[in-house]
Formats: sequence, C-alpha cells, structure tokens
Amino acid sequence: MTTTQTADLNRLATPPTFQSVSTARKIKNGVATALVYLAFLIAVVPLVWVLYTVIQRGFPVILDIDWWQKSLSGLLSRQQGGGVYHAIYGTLVQGLVCGLISVPIGLFVAVYLVEYGGRSKLAKATTFMVDILTGVPSIVAALFIYSLWITTFGFGRSGFAVSLALVLLMVPVIVRTTEEMLKIVPDELREASYALGVPKWKTIVKIVIPTALSGILTGVMLALARVMGETAPVLVLAAYAPFINYNLFDGPMASLPLLMTAERNNPTQAGFERIWGAAITLVLIITLFNLLATVISRWLAPKTK
Amino acid sequence: MKTKRHGAVIGLIAAGALLLTACGSDNNAPAGGSAATGTSSTPVECGGKSKLNAEGSTAQKNAIDTFIQAYQQRCPGSDVAYNASGSGAGVKNFNGGQVDFGGSDSPLKADEVTKAAERCQGNPAWHLPLVFGPVAIGYKLEGVTDLVLNGEVTAKIFNGAVKKWNDPAIAALNSGASLPDKDIKVVYRSDESGTTDNFQLYLQAASKGAWTQGAGKQFKGGVGEGKEKSAGVAQAAGSVDGAITYVELSSAQDNKLSMARIDTGSGPVELTTETVGKAIDGATVKGSGNDIVLDLNSIYATTASGAYPLLLATYEIVCSKGYDADTAKAVKAFLTVAATDGQAGLADAGYAPVPKPFQDKLLTAIKAIA
Repeated sequence: MTTTQTADLNRLATPPTFQSVSTARKIKNGVATALVYLAFLIAVVPLVWVLYTVIQRGFPVILDIDWWQKSLSGLLSRQQGGGVYHAIYGTLVQGLVCGLISVPIGLFVAVYLVEYGGRSKLAKATTFMVDILTGVPSIVAALFIYSLWITTFGFGRSGFAVSLALVLLMVPVIVRTTEEMLKIVPDELREASYALGVPKWKTIVKIVIPTALSGILTGVMLALARVMGETAPVLVLAAYAPFINYNLFDGPMASLPLLMTAERNNPTQAGFERIWGAAITLVLIITLFNLLATVISRWLAPKTK
Repeated sequence: MKTKRHGAVIGLIAAGALLLTACGSDNNAPAGGSAATGTSSTPVECGGKSKLNAEGSTAQKNAIDTFIQAYQQRCPGSDVAYNASGSGAGVKNFNGGQVDFGGSDSPLKADEVTKAAERCQGNPAWHLPLVFGPVAIGYKLEGVTDLVLNGEVTAKIFNGAVKKWNDPAIAALNSGASLPDKDIKVVYRSDESGTTDNFQLYLQAASKGAWTQGAGKQFKGGVGEGKEKSAGVAQAAGSVDGAITYVELSSAQDNKLSMARIDTGSGPVELTTETVGKAIDGATVKGSGNDIVLDLNSIYATTASGAYPLLLATYEIVCSKGYDADTAKAVKAFLTVAATDGQAGLADAGYAPVPKPFQDKLLTAIKAIA
C-alpha cells in the first residue's frame, strides 16, 4: 500500500515527451545509420583511391620543370623526357574558345527564358530542346560536328572543330545554371527597379544579372572544367600532334585527354609516366578552375550590408 | 585573412598562366647535340610545309618516330604528327584529304585506289614500303623459351586443331624440349589490323593447306581471346602462362615475350635483322613503275635457309602528284630522310632496315613525287 503511494508520488504529472525507445525502433535506427555510413564509404573509397593512384603515379612526373615547358616533339615512344606544354595549351585554348562562344549564347537564352519567355510556346520549346541537349552524349556531339564542319563544309580536322563540339555540350549546362540563378533573384528587386521608372532591359543588365552574377560565373567555371576533360570530341575531331601547334584553326593539335589516349598504345615506362603525368595535370587544371569559381563567387556575391 | 588566401590562389594562377604563355618549347634534343645517326650523302631538300600531318598503321609508329627524329636533325624546325590510329583510319583519312600521307600495313583495295586517285586530283597514289616489321610468334610458357614452329603447326594452333602444348605435332619440331600438358591460349587482334591480315596471308602461303580460313583484317581462326591493338595483345599474352599470339617484334620485345623460331624447311630460323633482311632480298615487286607493291607470297613461302618469312611490309601511301607545292616539298624531304638516315635507327626500334636495292627503288619513286 505504502509502496504504491510512493510510486504515485514519484510519478510525473504529465508523461515525459520522450518515452523510452522500443527495441524495434532502436534496431531500425541502427540499420539506417549503418546503411547511410556504408553508402558514404562506398562513394568515398573509389574517389580517394583514384586520387591516391593518380597522385602517387603522376606526381613524380610533373615535378620536372620540362614537363610544363616542353612538348614531346622528336622523342621516341620509349624515350623519357619532354613535356606536355603542347597538350596543356590545346586543352586550355580549346576550352576557352568554347567558353567564349557558349557563354553569351547560354546567358542570353537563360535571360530570355526567365525574363521574357514566360509560358510562351517558344520558351517551352526552348526548355525542351535544352533538356534534350543536356542528355546528348559527347560522342554524338562530336560526330555531328564532324559531319557538319568536316564532311559538309569541307574544313580540316582542327582544334576549333573540337571547340564547336564542346559548345554543344556546354551551352545547355550554362542555360540550366543561369536560369536557376536568375530565378532566385527576388521579384521585389525587379519591382523596386520598375517602380523607379527603369526600363526592363536596364533592370536586367543593372539589377538582375549583377545579383545573380556570382552564381552564373560559378556555373560557367564548372561547365568549363567539365568540357575540358571530354575525350570523345578530341578523338574524333582533332589529330594528335606531339609538337606545339598554336594555330587553333589548322593542323593537328594535342590536348591532355588526347595525349593520354595516344600514349595508351605505348607500353613502355615512358608512356606509363606520360599518361599518369597528363592525368594529374588535367586534374590540377580542373581543380584550379573550380578554385577560381569559388573565389569569383565569393568576390561577386551580393553584399548584404 | 580570407582575401589573403584568395590573393594567393589568384597569384598562383597568374604565375601558371605566365609560365604557360612564356616558355613553351619543342626542342627536346639532348644537350650534347647527338650526331650519332650518321647523316648520309643523299641530299635532302628541306623546306615547304613545316608540320606534316600523317595517320595510319600502329605497326609502324615506332619506325615513324625514328624517322621524325632523323628528319628533325636534317631539317631543323620541321616536324611530323603521326597518329597511330590503325591502317583503316589512316587510309580513310588520307583519302578524305585530312592527312598528307597515310600509313598502311596492306596495299589499297580496288575501291580505295579510286578514292585515293580522287584525293590526289586524279593522279594515282603510290605505295612506298619504307618500314619492314618482322612479326613475332610470341608466347609465354613456363620452362620453354626456345620453341620451334613451322607454318603448318602455327596454322593448326591458331585455328584450334592443336589445343595442347604437348601435342605430338609441336613435339615433333621440338625434340628434346619438355612441353607441359597445358592448354594453348591463343590471343588475337580484335580490331581490324594489317598485322592480322599479313599473318593470315602467311599461314595461307606457308601452312601446306592447314589454314583454310582465308585472310583479311579480322582474325578468322575462331579460337582464343581478342585484344585491341598491338600493345593489348602483347600485354595479354605476356600476362598468361600458356598464351601465344602474333605481334610485331617491338611489342613482343616491350612485353618480354619469348619468340618462336620458324622452320621453313631448311632448319629453324631465329628472328633477327639479318634473317629478315635475307627474306626481303628475295621479294618480288608486283606494282608497276614507282608504285612499289610487294608480292608477299614470295616472302611467306620462302624456303631459303636463314630467311625469316613472317614479316609485314608497311607502306606509306602518298600522292604521285596533286599536292600543293609546299606539302610536296615537305613530304619529299621527309620520305627521303626516312629512306636514308631514318633506316639506320630502325633495328633498335624492332624493325628491319630496307635493303640497298630497295632503297634505290624507293629514292627514285620519292624523287618522282610532284
């Protein structure tokens, strides 16, 4: 009797919000936690592994100053030495020219879609086409440019043809990211601008784009980094040259992915070193571009104060 | 703090860009200036287009590399880009006008000849056999490094009639050797290849009827495992015990395969520069004039003692006429160097230099290009 009373005294007036958890729920929780960590591990292990392999095999190669300053001109496949200046130049120039063409197109398409298109039929068709272009494999883009630029127009294979194929891959990415960035610019900003009597085009140029600029540029940089690693277009549209070719419009031109493919037929130690060296060089260049994207987006982020 | 870090990154990028734009160089010549490859007396008219573009056979890639080295020594500032994407691609891109000359392991077929003539503004294309590549029958078999084969047994191995390493047919040629009771694992080229074509032509000519599958750029033996490119087959054969394959000498050497000696009827012949040179000496030409197409049956079916019969003649496909003046000059200069100075370095790269009578024939043809 007395025991019951003490128990009653100790009982809380309201039952605690968190009851003790049942075993079944504990097990479920444990399983879910394990699965999440496992998924994380599965995703991270290959990533770290790839990075480790590339660095371990490629890093000693790129320490040589010649690697950054010379081409592979006049070297036999089994002779060590030389560098990949010619391929770095090709990769950068092809990527940058592609960027020069793609950025205006992508930017204007996105501005049209967000600011002018609305729900018109043309805007819908454009969105649809951009979606399809996003899904076009790079080899298809390369073959399309081959049949258009080389077979139909009769130009030779060149670095510029590669740039054109990369444009096809880059434009949809830029349209997508720019569109998203423009969409999150608050309508209040536009309305405030209109209220002051500023015309629409000036609102877009002076208010909307500057607000979204950091995001847009990040998108451009990421797209650029992505297309620079593309292999299919360079395989189809450019011939490999072991020497430096500054002319984007004529003659064979090397690029890092193409150099790796060409050296894959080379079973000697020199070929092995060139492939891994080129791999880490490409990773470094793309990392630099990603870093640049972060820096730019920090610099240009809208000041809130 | 953060701005400082960003500043450092920007600085790094700027420095990198400066480095890139400032000091690129094509000069890879050893500092001492090697005059090792003796420059021959044949005059070379340098000049014309400074960067030639060529594409074709993987089999002659290393040979072309040595030619390019010699070409750069004779004609400083000139260069050639040779894309080793296969004979098929080389001929296609030559006919499409994408490259200045093509490299092919087999002569052009009838329809290719027509297309090549179109590309050369109505002039015939010529075949110039500048690179002779011995094909090794490479194998990897623990405990056996001095295997002897002949055309007939080789054919039977590659069409599946002989399946074990201790088969009596092989044992008969290798008296005294202890052959293990292991399966023969054939490795063949899965991509279209002039090496395969030449190998099958050899089997057809030398197997006394044991090879009935015919020739062609695809392997028709019907056994084994396919691998891409010379490097691929050599690597595959080098990594499996009991494997056998046919591959160019340089790839077999690079992957440290054992190479079979071939018994043509007058004793086993090892693959050396001399034995291959002897076989080339016995070859007859079936092309007319300056179009030097070789009759390979005269090599494959040879019974001359000390002549290694299994080799592949790779051609440079060039226009007899129809280049613009600049290109013609550069093509002639490059080919002249290739036929003279360039041949000296070939033995080191796993090829056989062109014998003297052939060299003269080649130079006559090269001179006639306009």
